[in-house]
Amino acid sequence: MESLDKYPIPENAEQKLPSEDKVPGKISRMLLQRYPVWPIVDHLSEKVVPQHNHSVWYNIGGIALFFFVVQIITGVLLMIYYKPGAPWQSVQRIVMEVPFGNLIRSIHHWSANLMVLSLFIHMFSTFFMKAYRPPREGTWLTGLALLGVTLLFGFSGYLLPWDDLSFFATRVGMEEAEKAPLIGHYIGQLAKGGPDVSLDTLGRFYVLHVFVIPLVTMFIIGIHLFFVQVQGVSEPDSFRRLPKEKRKYHKFFTEFMFAEIPVWLVLAVLLVFLSAAWPRALMPEADPFAAAPEGIKPEWYFLSQFQLLKIFPGSLEFVGMMFLTLIPMLFLVTPFFDRSVPTDNRGRLVTKIGFLILLGLIVFTIWGGLS
Amino acid sequence: MSDKDKSTDKSKRKFLFTIGGLSLIWVGGAAYPIARYLSPQAAPDPFGEDGRAVVEGIVPNEVVKPGMGKNGGYGNRGLIVFRHPDGKLRAFDSKCTHAGCNVAFEGDKIFCHCHGGTYNLEGKNIAGPPPRPLTELGVEEDENSIYVYRLPRDEDGEV
Repeated sequence: MESLDKYPIPENAEQKLPSEDKVPGKISRMLLQRYPVWPIVDHLSEKVVPQHNHSVWYNIGGIALFFFVVQIITGVLLMIYYKPGAPWQSVQRIVMEVPFGNLIRSIHHWSANLMVLSLFIHMFSTFFMKAYRPPREGTWLTGLALLGVTLLFGFSGYLLPWDDLSFFATRVGMEEAEKAPLIGHYIGQLAKGGPDVSLDTLGRFYVLHVFVIPLVTMFIIGIHLFFVQVQGVSEPDSFRRLPKEKRKYHKFFTEFMFAEIPVWLVLAVLLVFLSAAWPRALMPEADPFAAAPEGIKPEWYFLSQFQLLKIFPGSLEFVGMMFLTLIPMLFLVTPFFDRSVPTDNRGRLVTKIGFLILLGLIVFTIWGGLS
Repeated sequence: MSDKDKSTDKSKRKFLFTIGGLSLIWVGGAAYPIARYLSPQAAPDPFGEDGRAVVEGIVPNEVVKPGMGKNGGYGNRGLIVFRHPDGKLRAFDSKCTHAGCNVAFEGDKIFCHCHGGTYNLEGKNIAGPPPRPLTELGVEEDENSIYVYRLPRDEDGEV
């Protein structure tokens, strides 16, 4: 037998750990003798979250994560009855026959929408607090990637019920995506698995939605949270300028985390309420031969893009495409352009542009919703 | 660094390059069948050996009089068949040339509910966003069925 002396318990661990006579103290010492991870534990226990007027924005990422967890749980439950070979019939069974099936499906729908919403809020709040500046470029970029994969989640999941609304909305969405220069056509055909949206498309979207995208998402979330844990939370310039004694902090473990639990509980109630009050409807089964029904619209988070494409019809369509490519690019390069702490002229310019983009996003979304 | 170290360094690098190269070849070899497996499947030609396809979902007595028309399908594509005021049967692929929704026959015009595209009964785009006319199909009927066939482009809709 190898000796347990190989990893002695560090001195400062002895001081911080619970007493040796109690069970938690015994268990933690037992674990540390086997897995010498005290530096990590120590680092995490020192992690703090600054307290200031804008502290509320620190919670939004956690809220998005909460919705993601709800998506995994409800998604796994839906998979039990969902059949990609008989999509509409199986969703109808979930809605009509399976006990609480309608509730679980509706929660999946509402949680998806609120997850997208909280990610947008999270992105814009970190943007305006300038949390993307060095050394946190990696957190910003992985965050943008998470927003991207979440939108893919939304788009791929929308088709799965295979009702006429989702069928034609996906057909329109793919048609628009295929207009993207160079790779658009190829990517579109690859995603559809043929020239048109069919059950072949559904098979591909299904695998993407329930396996590939979740795997990628969890991987990126892991990196994103790892960065946040290693570097700590960003502090706004106004907070940094305060004299040291006026800067107040919460401990991340466990003060900040425990404070978020009531928020999650309230959100869980909200999800159940929304799902009970406005359950997700299932329209008639998709019929590739039938005329498209009225009211074909993408989910709200794609409305602004569609409105943008709509106002540049015909040969001007490339202008809309340019905007759609340019705006994500601007967000990608922001941390490499606006680097200075405290903020300078470049920083103020970035804030102004960001404000314009946010305004445009809201206006175009409402416009798209009304037209 | 001694000469001996340098030479082991060199042979180490050579070894890594060989391993790396072999792995790349292996990955490339695996990528080809996977790419082929994922590549889009060509749609079967809806028109059979005799060059025509049976219309599904519409029977001749549903389009007897001018103004009668319906959505249906041929192969795995959608179409509309209607009786033109001139008494002739007309057929168009129902895929809207704007964003790919299926258009609907509405008596005196052809309309797309998705974005309000409008075509006249010759299939020509007359209002809304569609950039091109609908694709016209040749059409013929017997007692029980309607058939469509591909029109040569230069005939421009004349059956």
